[in-house]
Amino acid sequence: MFYRLLSLNWRIFISNLNRFQLLLTIGYILFLGIMLVNLIGTAIVVVLMDSDPWMQVQLPWLTPDIYSFILLVFGNAYWVMHFSFTNMRLLNIEENRKLLGFGFPLDRLAKYLTLIGFCHPVNIIYNFTWLVFLLIQVDYAFQIPVAIAAVALNYVIIYSIKHRFIRVVEKRFIAVVIGFFILIFGLFQMISLFASNSSRIFAEFFPQVEKVNAFLSWLPGGMLIQTVTIYYGWMNAAIIFFFSVLLVGLTVIDHFNKTKQGLLNPGLKKAEEESSTLWKVLRKVMGRNAGKYYFYVMKHPYNRLQVLTLTIIPIVYVPLLMNVEFELARTILIPTILAGIPVALLAMGMANMYGYENREFLLHLQFPINLEKQLKERFLGVIILPLLVFYLITVFELLMIPEIGSPLQIFIANTFFFLMFMLLFVWSSYFQYQKATYSSFSYKHPIIPQKVTFAISFLIFSMGYLVFVPLNGLEWYRLTIMSTVIVIMAIYLWQHMDVLVNLFKNRVLMRLWNEL
Amino acid sequence: MERAVEINKLIKRYEGEPVLKGLDLDIPKGTIFGLIGPNGAGKSTLIGVLTGLLSFEEGDIKIHGMELNTKNELKIKRLTASVLQPPLLFEQFSSLEFIEYICEIYEVEKEGLIEKAYSLMDYFDIKDFAKIKVNKLSSGSRKKLAFVTAVLLEPKLLLLDEPFESVDVISIERMKNVIRRLKNKGVTIIVTSHILEVVENLCDDIAILHNGKIKAYLDSISRKELQKDSSLHEIFEKFVEVEKKDQIVEWL
Repeated sequence: MFYRLLSLNWRIFISNLNRFQLLLTIGYILFLGIMLVNLIGTAIVVVLMDSDPWMQVQLPWLTPDIYSFILLVFGNAYWVMHFSFTNMRLLNIEENRKLLGFGFPLDRLAKYLTLIGFCHPVNIIYNFTWLVFLLIQVDYAFQIPVAIAAVALNYVIIYSIKHRFIRVVEKRFIAVVIGFFILIFGLFQMISLFASNSSRIFAEFFPQVEKVNAFLSWLPGGMLIQTVTIYYGWMNAAIIFFFSVLLVGLTVIDHFNKTKQGLLNPGLKKAEEESSTLWKVLRKVMGRNAGKYYFYVMKHPYNRLQVLTLTIIPIVYVPLLMNVEFELARTILIPTILAGIPVALLAMGMANMYGYENREFLLHLQFPINLEKQLKERFLGVIILPLLVFYLITVFELLMIPEIGSPLQIFIANTFFFLMFMLLFVWSSYFQYQKATYSSFSYKHPIIPQKVTFAISFLIFSMGYLVFVPLNGLEWYRLTIMSTVIVIMAIYLWQHMDVLVNLFKNRVLMRLWNEL
Repeated sequence: MERAVEINKLIKRYEGEPVLKGLDLDIPKGTIFGLIGPNGAGKSTLIGVLTGLLSFEEGDIKIHGMELNTKNELKIKRLTASVLQPPLLFEQFSSLEFIEYICEIYEVEKEGLIEKAYSLMDYFDIKDFAKIKVNKLSSGSRKKLAFVTAVLLEPKLLLLDEPFESVDVISIERMKNVIRRLKNKGVTIIVTSHILEVVENLCDDIAILHNGKIKAYLDSISRKELQKDSSLHEIFEKFVEVEKKDQIVEWL
């Protein structure tokens, strides 16, 4: 039965993939293979580096203390990676719970799903690497069962923490995201401090390495290493093994209960009163139609995260790039990064215009208001914010990086960039319609179809080179071509707004009607 | 008698496959009209066409004397309200926000609107959900909210696609009461349902739709005549030519 359930879940996964996604999956499997080899290779090199006589000649500073330090840094860094990449998205509770309706016993289903949940390939790779990393360091036989139990315990604890962490993140979304960014900023500050004082820090650090090792060895990665580097005898090994196994058992039982609860209470919704000031503000500023649409866009947690990220990225990267001495980097990368901001905002609102409302958009069709008028209002509403940002960026570029070109050049290049992406997103809205899932933690992109996401990432840089690379004598040809395309497209779009209505009727309407 | 809806030789296809096959139907003004038929008969498609959500390939439709075409589309939409199956609601709004929004679009008189909305919500026991987000309502409450909103739009033609599904018995009785009151105010109501007993005691006229065509039109006179000897259920079975299949499951 377990095998059947596994194959059922696998079939659900495969049947949800289109050909492009299948290709991606194959690429992902190859990536996993490479990742496994790399991780194990790195672990072996780190463990064996002090035993090679060549190393001792070439690296005289590699004392036993420094070697332990490297080992502990690797172990702890690897633990952080393990924690970050532990994947929990293998279960499709919604699909699997249908089995309950056919009389599948709840306990057995929860048991199988708990097991399947632990078996994500990425998680298996990390745990397997831990085993290789630890077992090649084993000095005594009693360390083997302890190391294995410790790896299992480590995994279930990480899984458990992440399980709860995701719930916390979804509940306290803004607080967690802000906390995350403060952490990133702190890290930036630390790195810059270290880079400017590295020689002094090293001079002070080397004598202290023993103390640092003592500290590192009590961090999670360090404790795992201790299971194979310390002598604790058979008696202690038995006690550690027993308690580790007990804790693993208790955590797995806890997961089993949580899975059971999840199967019985799918998306348990609390009906609490909610006041939406955002809707009131948008209703006033953008009108009832565009305002309502933007309200839906901004209600999506992924978009809120996106807006926050878009604010932070230029604050971090632009000052860094401004200090780069290589002029080409400044003239291409800064405008490309900056031009990417309105593009990302545009993608939020325009790349899947019906994906937020889905079937409920049919209600708009029943309104005694012309559909073309409704779509036009939305269309204009969606481009207002990115356009505003776009103009602010253009002004910023004119003031701060005048060497990237004349005002006319910057203006035309940015407008062209914006317009091209706008066309891509209009195409995406009508030809790549998909239901936007209301979770920022979706395996697939929650708003924009994967095809479009890939196209954006690729185009943002190729367009950047096409539009911003200085061409010196040929610059005027490029400007003329871009200006002509801008004028033709603007006139065409303005005069043929009904194209949106026809595209909607031909490409989206029936899908909405049939969607349940 | 004046007609609220006149349908003449209506053909609607899905990907080339006809669902409504030259359908003819006249519905008198100010009646409660029941549309019954087996699954896949085309009831929801017909409602979809009448609400203007679905286009049709051939035939013509007149609503309150106006041809259903691009020219009259908006005027007709202003006269019409509907509850579809499943109901269309704005999930991110609260129940009251949803009502206010829709009423604003339909330019319903603002004075007294909130009071009317609260009294109807109270009548259907969803008053407590006024400030609850729509996507957190149960399927029954969603249906009731859609019904309340449609009533508040003061339509001349009310289209109800399976309005009683997932609604509790007390609320079904209250819905029937509201529908009768609307009829007394001159509103035409078209109801589709699989619950024949409800259709039987609520509707004035009933049509049986099968395979995209009207198989029988039972007005009050012909119903009296036919129902002398048989129930609506038996009449329904006769017109949709139900195949007797009980022998298939005799092994049970």
